[in-house]
Amino acid sequence: MAGHGQLLSPCKNLEEDLVLFHYGELPAPEHFSLEQHLSGCANCTAYLKDLSALMPLTIKADDPPETFWLDYNRELRHKIAATRDKSWWSAKFGAFFQPRLLTAFGAIAVIAVALTLTLGKGVWQSRDLPREDEALMEVLPMAEDLDFFKTMDVLDNLDVLEFMASPEGAA
Amino acid sequence: MRTGDEELVAAAQEGNQQAFEELVERHKQKAYHIAFDFCRDREDAKDLSQEAFLKAFVNLKKFDGRSSFYTWFYRILVNLCLDYKRRLKRSPTDSFDETLENQMERSHEPNRPRSPDQQVLAGQISRKVDAALQALPAKQRTAFLLKNHQGLSIKEIAELMQTAEGTVKVHLHRAVTALRHSLAEFV
Repeated sequence: MAGHGQLLSPCKNLEEDLVLFHYGELPAPEHFSLEQHLSGCANCTAYLKDLSALMPLTIKADDPPETFWLDYNRELRHKIAATRDKSWWSAKFGAFFQPRLLTAFGAIAVIAVALTLTLGKGVWQSRDLPREDEALMEVLPMAEDLDFFKTMDVLDNLDVLEFMASPEGAA
Repeated sequence: MRTGDEELVAAAQEGNQQAFEELVERHKQKAYHIAFDFCRDREDAKDLSQEAFLKAFVNLKKFDGRSSFYTWFYRILVNLCLDYKRRLKRSPTDSFDETLENQMERSHEPNRPRSPDQQVLAGQISRKVDAALQALPAKQRTAFLLKNHQGLSIKEIAELMQTAEGTVKVHLHRAVTALRHSLAEFV
C-alpha cells in the first residue's frame, strides 16, 4: 500500500462494468471488450488495482472456536423447544382469542343483552317487586288520575262559568 | 447420497425435528457469517442467525417452495440484519464502534502474530473500513456485503433483496465507489 491517497478516475461510462469485472460478473462479450480497453487505458487499470487492494480490506474474518458451535446448537435447541411449547399452548388456547372468534363472541353477547332487556323487562319487574308494592304501584297512578278528573269536573262546568261571566249571569 | 434441502424441508414440515436440525447444521456457519458481516459482534451475530432459524422453524409450514429454502431462509436473515441495523440507529447509546473495538481484536485473523506497528495499522484500517461501511445506505451495504464478503452471485443477491439484478449492480457499483473514496489513503 502506497498510502498516497491519490485516486485516478476511470472512464466514467465503464465504471460499473469495471466493478462487475472485478467480481467476475461481467458477461462474456462485455468482458472481452473491457479486457481490450484495459490494455490501453492506464486509469481503468489503476481503478481495478485499487479495487483488488481495497475491497479485501473490508472483509473481517471471524472464526469462532468449536465450543462456540456447541453452545450455538444447544442454545438453538432450547429456543426451538421453548417456541414449540409456546405454539402448543397457543394452538390449545389461542383459538379462543382469535380476532374473528372474539368478534363473534362480542356480537353474541350484545345480542343476548339486547334480547334480555327487551323481552325480559316485564318478567323482572313482576319478580322483583312484592305483591303489596305492586298494588301500590297500581293505586298511585289512579290517585294522580283523580286530581286530573277533578280538573275535568271544572271543565265540565264551563257552561256555568261562561253563564256567570255573561251580563245575564251578573244580573 | 446427500439429501437435498427440499427433502429436508418436506420432512421438517411433517414434524421431523432431525430434518430441521440437519438444515441448521448445513446453513448455520454461512448464516452466522452473514450476520457477523452486518453487526460485527459475535454474540449479536449468534443471536441474529439463531433468530433467523427460529423464524424459519415457526414459519416452515408457510414455506411453499416457490423459491429455494436457501433463498427463503437468507431473506429472513438479511431482513433481521437490516432490522438490527435500524434498531442500533435508534439506540445510539449502544456504541457500534465500541463493540467493534472489543470484537475485532479477537476476530481479526486470530492466529497471526503481529508487531505493534502492524497492530496499530490494522486497528486504523479496521476503524476506517467500519466507518465507511456504516456510512453506506442499507441497500448498498447489503448488496456489497453479500457480494464482497459472501461471494453470492448478482442473481442470488437480487432474489434475496427481492429486486432486479440491474438494481443490485447499481447498488454494488455505488457502494464500491464510495468505499474506494473513503479508503483512498490505504491505496
